[in-house]
Amino acid sequence: MPLFPFSHRPTETCLSRREWFKLTSAGIIGFSMSGWLERLAQAAGKSAERKRSCILLWMAGGPTQMDTFDLKPGNPNGGPYKAINTAAPGVQISEHLPQIAKFTDRMAIVRSMSTKEGDHGRATYFLRTGYLPQVPIQYPPIGALVARELGREDDGLPSFVSVAPARSFSPAAYGSGFLGPVYAPLVVGDPGDRFGPPAQIFTEDSLKVKDLNRPRSIDDGRAEARINLLQGLERDFVPNHPDVAALSHETAYNRAVALMRSEAGKAFDLETEPAKVREVYGKTPFGQGCLLARRLVERGVPFIEVTLDGWDTHQQNFDAVKRLSGVLDPAWATLMADLKDRGLLDTTLIVWMGEFGRTPKINNSQGRDHFPNAWSTVLAGGGIKGGQTIGKTSADGTTVEDRPVPVPDFLATVCQALGIDPLKQNQSNVGRPIRIVDKVARPIQEALA
Amino acid sequence: MNYPRQWMLGCIFLVAVDPLAAAPPDSGLEKALIKPSPTVGEASALAERIDQLLASKWQEAQVEPSDLTDDAEFMRRIYLDVAGRIPTVSEARAFLAANGQDKRPKLIEKLLASPAYANHFTNVWGELLIPEARAANRLRFLEPGFDAWLRKHFSDNTRYDQTVRELIAAELFDKSKPGASPYSRVGRTSPISFYLAKELKPENLAAATARIFMGVKLECAQCHDHPHAKWTRQQFWETAAFFACFEGQNANGFVNNAKEVPERHEIVMPGGARVVQAAFLDGGKPDWKNRISPRVALAEWLTRPENPYFARATVNRLWGHFFGNAIVEPIDDLIGENKPSHPELLEELARQFAAHDFDFKYLVRAITLSRAYQLSSRSKSADPPDVRLFARMAIKGLSPEQLFDSLVQATGYREDKSDPNRVFDPISARQEFLTKFAQADKRTEAQTSILQALALMNGRFVHSATTPEVGETLAAVLDAPFFDTAGRIETLYLATLSRKPRSEEAEKLIKFVNKAKTREESRTALADVFWALLNSSEFNLNH
Repeated sequence: MPLFPFSHRPTETCLSRREWFKLTSAGIIGFSMSGWLERLAQAAGKSAERKRSCILLWMAGGPTQMDTFDLKPGNPNGGPYKAINTAAPGVQISEHLPQIAKFTDRMAIVRSMSTKEGDHGRATYFLRTGYLPQVPIQYPPIGALVARELGREDDGLPSFVSVAPARSFSPAAYGSGFLGPVYAPLVVGDPGDRFGPPAQIFTEDSLKVKDLNRPRSIDDGRAEARINLLQGLERDFVPNHPDVAALSHETAYNRAVALMRSEAGKAFDLETEPAKVREVYGKTPFGQGCLLARRLVERGVPFIEVTLDGWDTHQQNFDAVKRLSGVLDPAWATLMADLKDRGLLDTTLIVWMGEFGRTPKINNSQGRDHFPNAWSTVLAGGGIKGGQTIGKTSADGTTVEDRPVPVPDFLATVCQALGIDPLKQNQSNVGRPIRIVDKVARPIQEALA
Repeated sequence: MNYPRQWMLGCIFLVAVDPLAAAPPDSGLEKALIKPSPTVGEASALAERIDQLLASKWQEAQVEPSDLTDDAEFMRRIYLDVAGRIPTVSEARAFLAANGQDKRPKLIEKLLASPAYANHFTNVWGELLIPEARAANRLRFLEPGFDAWLRKHFSDNTRYDQTVRELIAAELFDKSKPGASPYSRVGRTSPISFYLAKELKPENLAAATARIFMGVKLECAQCHDHPHAKWTRQQFWETAAFFACFEGQNANGFVNNAKEVPERHEIVMPGGARVVQAAFLDGGKPDWKNRISPRVALAEWLTRPENPYFARATVNRLWGHFFGNAIVEPIDDLIGENKPSHPELLEELARQFAAHDFDFKYLVRAITLSRAYQLSSRSKSADPPDVRLFARMAIKGLSPEQLFDSLVQATGYREDKSDPNRVFDPISARQEFLTKFAQADKRTEAQTSILQALALMNGRFVHSATTPEVGETLAAVLDAPFFDTAGRIETLYLATLSRKPRSEEAEKLIKFVNKAKTREESRTALADVFWALLNSSEFNLNH
């Protein structure tokens, strides 16, 4: 079977708009690894019932567990925060997360994450793909994997959307790996300058898809003519150049045009939400990103990630985390409440995590350093049995005392909560099939509903 | 590029503008413009060797290499790889029309002598050496002095080992001005930004130096002995100790108050009180009794001809620049799990590079004169051979600088050069492009995102360029009085794809344009053709 389906394309010189659109939505133009016939069958087979969605709240930099979800008040390592009671009896979290504390009945807090990776780059890659970097294999991140399993791009909206990603630590973990450019995320709210101050001035336009609308002076007829001309050029060039870069270029254009032609772009227009709603999420990029995530879930997008950067608190940890908690708390809590009100919480999984935790021992700059030995993540919402903690750390937080959770186990749990088989195989770029999650993984059964 | 419209018209269809093409062969003008280097002949010899070694693997694998590129394909590729941009219309017409067996080697020499070569390699090597300064607005002030230093060396074709020694042994502090901040010297033509971008931290400097100049990835050993890596944690810190002379580094990276203790060559390994002495990766130590500066000692050890890694790492990187894939991948990990695809080739290139005084241009010539470099990227089958055989040229994505500079070239865009803050202005068209099209992936795995596609289709830049009254190139093509439709289409192809349209392409497009009923309509039809060309894969990729 040829690697690229170009040889199967119709041979007319020019496709009409309707034909082109039909072929795109059936997945014939621009899909890479699976054959076009297979893809068509898949599209036809997908049922109309509500599919699950996943929202990943990615805490870039390595969020401290001792000051969020696994406090050790009274211990010398504990720091100044108090622990507060929550909706789940016996479960206490940081006093600076009072709103999300009301939703612990829908959460499984994993306190026993444990890895050996304390380097931002390697750990980011590991947590996002489930595999350690191994050239030349391009492991896809969980977002692309979920997009492939649960996506249905017939209305032009991509199945994987990434809000304000902090890509610099591991760019390869923010693409789509060997799944190809069709599953690459659509990025909005790109922070651009990673080392600049966090964007405090935030406007409604910040999360819109840039350049989505064509210039006013180009009418429908001209737009169609242009696309036809472009397609003619691509048809002559791309089939003779079976390289990733060429395929990626062509695919991006197909998806961009599909997005332009659909109504889906309106999802990114937050101005249509009542002002009060926008206030409650918090007028921060992360807060508005969570609101956008809810809107995309409503439209059936299966995977949205929203990044909150700044957790790499080697200095002044307690001031920084208080501020970050002030951003995280209203956004996440409002997201949970909104999803619940709309009856979507049971089919939406929310994952809260970063690439590692932080040292129990406080350093000389009132900070905490990288600590992969024992840290926390949270699973919430659909498919999760809430109101519990998974695993336990020692009194001083330095080791996992009970039920260590390696990364593959965690990601396998995410898959099962979404109704995806973690052992399913995808064809990789090195000629051999690779499972969504490493086959040694054992999902955390007690966390699953 | 400030072209008045009339000059633009002239450029587009007067071949005589190109001095080289106009000069009859062997005229004094030609000789004056190309100074043949004594190493050109030897570069050809190395090029032949490259071809021999690659061909023997093709035979072994029973693989047929691609056809040779035609002139247009070669021209566009060599311009992008050496000069960082596509050719102008007149350059393209001149080369395509020229005769002579040696027209390709002549073009290579012309490009190597041009300022564009130095600029392009400054961009490429700058990205390699101080990526921090390109990634962050607040560090951008580190670029100009460093770029000027790089540009001078590429322009002068300074021995590469000397350039690297100058970098590693750079003087940050003026002894006549004790207490002055190292930032006070940043504006000058010097390599000190390398140190400042790494925040004067020994661990950053050690990791970067080992990775870039030796193809040794030490960073994994920074925190612990890695089970699979060759290096121990101790060795990492022994290398870092060569950079232990700085103190006063701030936690936030700003090193205004830093000082140097010039002879210090020991460092405390973090997490304990253990003090480590500087030592080379092969276990040797400098003779400290001679009071040699640690950084000078490291620079000399690293670049000496007996060090196998320096030449190999450089050669591997340059090969990767031209072929997309390097001989050892990943490109900066020579000692990792992955073996060279052509070990003998790597050794030969490294040996000859060292033997020829680490002459950078010699190496570039040898690679670009080879037949392998000149193979087409067009694939004969849907199932092309293993990329590691180099039997077909791989397609490379364009760097953001290449893309922008090529777009500027193709569209006749005129930047407002009167603004002195142009370099630092975050929202200049150039800066906007560089940010939007930043590529972290390997060139052969370059991904185009939906946002990039939208930017090129609907964004301001391309819209202006494809509006008949506004875009410079487009206006010139439309206004030229003695062009027919065929001539206009041919010029648009030359401006963007650097080739003439094939007859079936021309036929189709002439028919499209001639459907127009008014002059206005035919102008917009041509504008639409231009738009399609600028958005095509063929324009946006280096093939």
